[in-house]
Amino acid sequence: MKLENRLPAEGINSSDENPLKELAWLVAGGLAAVFLLVFTVSLAAQWLAPRIPYKYEAKLAATLPPFATTPDNEVGRAVQKELQGIADRLAAQMQLPSEMVLRIGYRDEATVNAFATLGGQVVFFRGLLTRLESEDALAMVMSHELAHLKYRHASAALGRGVAIGVILSVISSDLGSSAAGNVLSTAGLATLLSFNRDQERDADDAALHALHAEYGHIGGAVDLFNVMQTLPGGKRESSSAAVELLRTHPLTQSRVNSVAIWASNNGAATDWPRRPLPPAIASLRGVNKP
Amino acid sequence: MLDLIELGLFVTLLVVGFFAGSIVEKRHYASIRKREREYADVLAYAVRFPPDRVTRQRAFLVHGTVVISSDYFKTFVAGLRNLFGGRVRTYETLMERARREAMLRLKHDARRQGAKLVICVRFETTTISTGWAASIEVFAFGTALIPDHDPALSFPSRPVAAA
Repeated sequence: MKLENRLPAEGINSSDENPLKELAWLVAGGLAAVFLLVFTVSLAAQWLAPRIPYKYEAKLAATLPPFATTPDNEVGRAVQKELQGIADRLAAQMQLPSEMVLRIGYRDEATVNAFATLGGQVVFFRGLLTRLESEDALAMVMSHELAHLKYRHASAALGRGVAIGVILSVISSDLGSSAAGNVLSTAGLATLLSFNRDQERDADDAALHALHAEYGHIGGAVDLFNVMQTLPGGKRESSSAAVELLRTHPLTQSRVNSVAIWASNNGAATDWPRRPLPPAIASLRGVNKP
Repeated sequence: MLDLIELGLFVTLLVVGFFAGSIVEKRHYASIRKREREYADVLAYAVRFPPDRVTRQRAFLVHGTVVISSDYFKTFVAGLRNLFGGRVRTYETLMERARREAMLRLKHDARRQGAKLVICVRFETTTISTGWAASIEVFAFGTALIPDHDPALSFPSRPVAAA
């Protein structure tokens, strides 16, 4: 046997191809797959949610702790009663599911927000109520939240959340603790947010219809978005698409613009005299608790 | 905002991983190629028996071991590759470097002890998982042979039938 020693061959067991090329293909493919999957599932959940009879949503909501709880003080209960009255009047204009029982809650917290959730519940925070100057602006918030209930956005969000949670957990566990899983999950979440923005636009549109039907003008919407622009954070909103992508609500400026467009399309006035706030809600403005 | 910070951190790690990893890999390959020529006189084979079965040989175990880590970039690309399947190119270079380096260390061990021939060379590999990045250990071992020509010590390797 004649023994020789040769240098190892190059380029057989590894390739010289630039790894950036591989990265580009894999990232593009991975993102496309995740977007497509999340998009399809979201669309399916959104389509399905309003078709599931409301009684199932009500049943599910009954198993959860209620969001719209009754306040434990006199002022809170008076505010809640006034909110309930406004909600019931607006609901008459909105064709809500017939079995839906509206429950409006009030929380004595400084948060500037209101939300709608499963089982016909809407919750208002004191922080928001003290910043509104007329019943019209309050009615715009209320009809916006009622529109979320009408379109069953809460159950759509729940179904979507569960389905996407399953998809993303499969992706993450498949990739172990690697960074690739995190990136794909974040990409999936960005797709989710864009759906929420569409829902907000739908809710704004239905809210404007109800507001116009009930008050004869949509001045409340103009007032509301003006107030929102003066909020801390409202001024900082830039009009770049990148910022909007990471937010769940459309930027206030774009909502103001769509109100103006809606008004001109529907021949709705915006400068009629406003109705004053009901007394208990108006009295909150004197309270300046942190 | 937090999302943007996370994204920025991720991209930074990826860029650092790519450039640092590329430089390290390039230097390692250059060093491997240089030393492979230096150690060309130490012969290493996978054969199980000595090529020269007549001469008496002194035999002993020699080995070389190396632990080598992936970088953030390689791990990320390999993670994505797990979704689609195919050649994990970024790990192929890692494994190739590790094997060649282990072989060089084996040859170094052999030369250090005066051997110029190693037979029965085998490789073992172990994965050392450290969180998000993979590390591997490659262990090369073999039997080094030194021909023993001293006639005083020489004896037949198998009993010779009496004439």
